[in-house]
Amino acid sequence: MSLIKKLLDLDQRIIFLVLFVALAFPILNPVMLPMAIQDYSIQAFEFADSIPDGSIVIIEGGNTAATYPQCGPGLIAQIVHLLRKDVKLVFFSIGAEQQVWTQTAIDTAISKLPAGVPAENGVNWVNLGYIPGGESATAALANNIRSVVAKDYFGTPVDEIPLMKDVNDATAFAALFWWGGSEGSIPYGVRQFVGPFGIPMSGSCTTNEVPNYSPYISAGQLQGLFGGVRGSAEYEYLLKLPGPALGQAMATNFGGLWWLILVAVGNILYFILRTRGEA
Amino acid sequence: MDPVLMGLIAGSAVSIGAYTVLIGDNPISKITEHLYTGILGGYILATNWDFINKNAITKIQTGQYVYIIALILSLMLFTRLKPEWLWVSRYPVALTVGIGLGLAMRTTVIADFVGQIRATILPLNSINNIVMIVGSITSAAYFVFTRSYTGIYKYINLTGRLFLLVAFGVAYGQTASFRFELVIGRLVEMLRPEVAMYTYVLIILVAVVLYFGYKTKRIEWYSAK
Repeated sequence: MSLIKKLLDLDQRIIFLVLFVALAFPILNPVMLPMAIQDYSIQAFEFADSIPDGSIVIIEGGNTAATYPQCGPGLIAQIVHLLRKDVKLVFFSIGAEQQVWTQTAIDTAISKLPAGVPAENGVNWVNLGYIPGGESATAALANNIRSVVAKDYFGTPVDEIPLMKDVNDATAFAALFWWGGSEGSIPYGVRQFVGPFGIPMSGSCTTNEVPNYSPYISAGQLQGLFGGVRGSAEYEYLLKLPGPALGQAMATNFGGLWWLILVAVGNILYFILRTRGEA
Repeated sequence: MDPVLMGLIAGSAVSIGAYTVLIGDNPISKITEHLYTGILGGYILATNWDFINKNAITKIQTGQYVYIIALILSLMLFTRLKPEWLWVSRYPVALTVGIGLGLAMRTTVIADFVGQIRATILPLNSINNIVMIVGSITSAAYFVFTRSYTGIYKYINLTGRLFLLVAFGVAYGQTASFRFELVIGRLVEMLRPEVAMYTYVLIILVAVVLYFGYKTKRIEWYSAK
């Protein structure tokens, strides 16, 4: 067998091993490469920055154990950003696991807040917890919050929460931030909040979902989008709040470089074989 | 031991077990898989039960008897466990699908159809706009299968195909990047200074177990060929 064929038949375990090393190396030895900020992230940041102080916004926390390391740091940055502006936050999750990670992000963000910034549960923020039902639940929430939520994440009746006093449908919110992780749920917000109520919305999703939702930005239905760990890193950078995402974004670069080499070499070798008539 | 540290070590052990599937299917990866499925299943059951308790049973207790209908519909779903009663479960399923579709369709036309078409009606005053218009039209034209690819239509088809290939390439690149990010997310936790030593020990332990498993042929060596 020729060397080219041997290389094309390379055992996948060797590929995985090199990838593992390429991803672990920057984590163990942090390196910083130059990073250009994407337009979508700048738009999403500026949108959050333009929310009037003291308004109420609604946030869907859709990260799971798998996606929290990528999108969680961005959500933390967003919570810090909004609480600093005295914006009141109403959280909910459409997944069972996601509600726990949303609360983790809230707790982490509060621990990062500068002294003196108010962050009282029930006054400055409330976590409504898990609401099952996907898009139907989102629609019900937008029309009548109390029809789907009786108690918040901690079991406090919604009617006893000061922040929820005059809040019962989508019209109470100045904006919607949909941190959908890999739920594929951003269209729920577009269809049930943006369309019927005209609530401006931005969001975050995992990297693989960015191409699916970029048409919503072109159409003006989304005001911006943070994509995966890079989006989170860019939020941290724009907010000047260094966090874990910046380091992870560098590791992604190394993995991407290895993948790029494999794709390029694989195609070149295949092309050589084809010109020789061996493919 | 600190419960957070214990959680991180357990997470590290489970992650290593899951990643052994890259060498080939083996008992360690299977144990991890079953552990994950079982724990997640139990957690989701408990969370949903909590939701029903907080949002249906509490409301019924306060006199909102309409929620009894929701509970009955939920219980009807369980009839599918007995084949003779399967038909009963179709009613709540039909209701759920119907409501879901109705709610989505109500706004889909505007959000996903009219809105997207409107976004491509742009002035031809920048390269970005020209690319957007040409890409949208030729990509849509590629899926017209009712005429042969001859004359000018051949070039429209070719241009559309090129745009689609670029889109697929972007989607593939983003998907590969997403997978890296999943691994990086775990590695960051596994290689935290306070957990790293446990991770290294666990890797050696798993490697030794698998080595003897393969050596004594108790585990079948996976071959991709």
